[in-house]
Amino acid sequence: MNPRALAIWVAAVLLLSLGSEDPFLRVLTLGAALAVLLVRRRAGTRLRPALLAVGVAALLTVLFNLLLSHTGQNVLLELPGWLPALGGPLTLEGAAYGLDLALGLAACIVAGISLSLIVQPHQLVDSLPGLLSRTGAALGAAMTLVPRLGHSFLAVREAQQMRGWRPRGMRSWTAVVVPSVLTTIEGSVLLAEAMEARAFGSGPRTALATSRWRAPDLVIAATSSAAILGFVLALCLGRVPAWQPYPTLTVPALSWWPTLCCLGLFIPALLP
Amino acid sequence: MSEVARFDGFSYRYPESEALSLNQITLQLGEGLTLLTGASGSGKSTLLRSLNGLVPHFHGGQARGRAWILGQDLRATSTRRLAREVAMVFQEPESQFVLATVRREVAFGPENLGRPAAEIADRVEAALQAMGVGELAERRISTLSGGQRQRVALAAALAMRPRLLALDEPTSQLDDAGADSLRRACQRLAAQELAVVVAEHRPWRVDSPGSRRLELSHGSLTPALGSKSGLLPLPRRPPHPFGPSAWELSELVVGHQEPVAAGINLGCRQGEVLCLTGPNGSGKTTLLRTAAGLLRPLSGSVDRRPGRCAYLPQEPGGVLHQVSLVEEVRQTIRWLKLDCSPWPMLEEFELSSLAGIDPRDLSTGQRQRVALAAVLVGSPELVFLDEPTRGADPNSRQLLLRVLERLAARGSAVLVATSDTQFAHQIGDRVHELAGGQLRERDERAA
Repeated sequence: MNPRALAIWVAAVLLLSLGSEDPFLRVLTLGAALAVLLVRRRAGTRLRPALLAVGVAALLTVLFNLLLSHTGQNVLLELPGWLPALGGPLTLEGAAYGLDLALGLAACIVAGISLSLIVQPHQLVDSLPGLLSRTGAALGAAMTLVPRLGHSFLAVREAQQMRGWRPRGMRSWTAVVVPSVLTTIEGSVLLAEAMEARAFGSGPRTALATSRWRAPDLVIAATSSAAILGFVLALCLGRVPAWQPYPTLTVPALSWWPTLCCLGLFIPALLP
Repeated sequence: MSEVARFDGFSYRYPESEALSLNQITLQLGEGLTLLTGASGSGKSTLLRSLNGLVPHFHGGQARGRAWILGQDLRATSTRRLAREVAMVFQEPESQFVLATVRREVAFGPENLGRPAAEIADRVEAALQAMGVGELAERRISTLSGGQRQRVALAAALAMRPRLLALDEPTSQLDDAGADSLRRACQRLAAQELAVVVAEHRPWRVDSPGSRRLELSHGSLTPALGSKSGLLPLPRRPPHPFGPSAWELSELVVGHQEPVAAGINLGCRQGEVLCLTGPNGSGKTTLLRTAAGLLRPLSGSVDRRPGRCAYLPQEPGGVLHQVSLVEEVRQTIRWLKLDCSPWPMLEEFELSSLAGIDPRDLSTGQRQRVALAAVLVGSPELVFLDEPTRGADPNSRQLLLRVLERLAARGSAVLVATSDTQFAHQIGDRVHELAGGQLRERDERAA
């Protein structure tokens, strides 16, 4: 997949998942992001750790909103008032809004992950326009974060197990998660340093292997651009339905215009 | 001899650091080979980073004094500009790769210089051949061994055809053939009136006639003794009796999906130190991990006697996560419920004075010592070490030798996978070479 076409598609996913709080549109956007990631990811990439991280982030979002919002008419449970921040009613509306936020967050994360799992980080760096070449080092480092984190997590877990570490509750995982994250960040800083030291961004660059535009890439770029323009237009014209779960949960409204924009995001999963 | 770099009372301190990493450096560097020696943490990597402006421009911190690199004022010239004429290979080459395949990686530097495509192809081919990795050109970097990655990183630097080449521990994971290739490449560059500065704990591996020696100590230049004691035969461990079998590999085939070595029959007895050497990419790490129980054999059997197993991975930095060295060692004691104090082990590795420091604030060589102390504390029955002398200065190697001797004397069975053949012959009761998928014994001193 051409990295510029992918970048336009990612921008469309981010806009559509953040531009409306309608849960129906967010389900569609997340579905499109997952479908494209599953169909177009590079051979040999590991999806499980990334999807696990998305699931944990989504679950935490629902939990936080449920435990902290205390707003809404349908009370599921009442926590004692002496509990700081948590005390008060836990409502169906709080859970529903948390789920809606989680859907949007998950769509954004999956789109971000796609950048490093569908194309190679260097393809993105190579495809940056000349004006943005100075940001290439940061982008290159950022794009390697997810795969590096996965590799680092497995290596650290193995080494710590040999030192006697055993998973015993959430806290015990700090012995694996902390060095994994630190090692990953250090690695990304080292990469940025190495790119500087190898004269990246020092002048006009010869790209030996440029990503060519094929017909499917043009279709992806065109449909994603159309989705962006269509959604912005729908926002300006008030055609994107607003959804507000408080104080009483309501069924989200359906609107064909933004729905069509969301459906356009599935295109990369359908093309060869 | 024309001047390539000049430092005049140059001092540098990293951000949030109290100590100076470079202290009043006054130095003139000319064409040819310059070898930079000094203990771990003495400032070698920092001095190399100042040759292309990463220090101070990338790292920040405070710089005082003056320095000129290829006639340009260091403090007024950006790294990107200097990098067009100064190439560098870092101590951890696996962290510097940007692209997916070897050929693209080696081309990355010349691409950044904007050279014509045909010239880039020529440069890449020449650099790959110079480092003996022509056959790896189409391989994915992620499939290479540590030593192969180091060779690729060196080829990538050579392809930039710099006027000044700075190499940080370039032979730390190289086999003897790789070190020879590097020495020849350095000699060639020196003959072309280019400057090569190499920070190296085993300088004799890249040394050549006419080279210059500099030594750093606590950030300051000290008079180099010019000693080449590393070339002299080092004392070998006296023969000693072994106990019963600790582990046994029978008709083993090892690999991840494809076999990298087959027909392996190898055993280690209690109190024995077994060393595994071989060319870069021969499968040493794969075999060690299989023996340690971290990787399933493709076929054959691994029989290990029960007991505590200590394992040092090839990249030990990831093990470290505590706020101080002493806590790092204490953590292993807590996890394994050992009945011992962390201090004797810290003293054995001469780390007591650094006990309160965050391990991540240390140099690569010092971190290696901390990781060794953290995995070897107590008396593990089975010890598996992957490239334990990587980045180790001569003193650290001696300390490791002593610790391994002590462990073996207490009955530990030790397996060391290393490209450091000198260390292997010094500590190993037996040395086996893994090459071409087959294991053969190089040296047997004790029955």
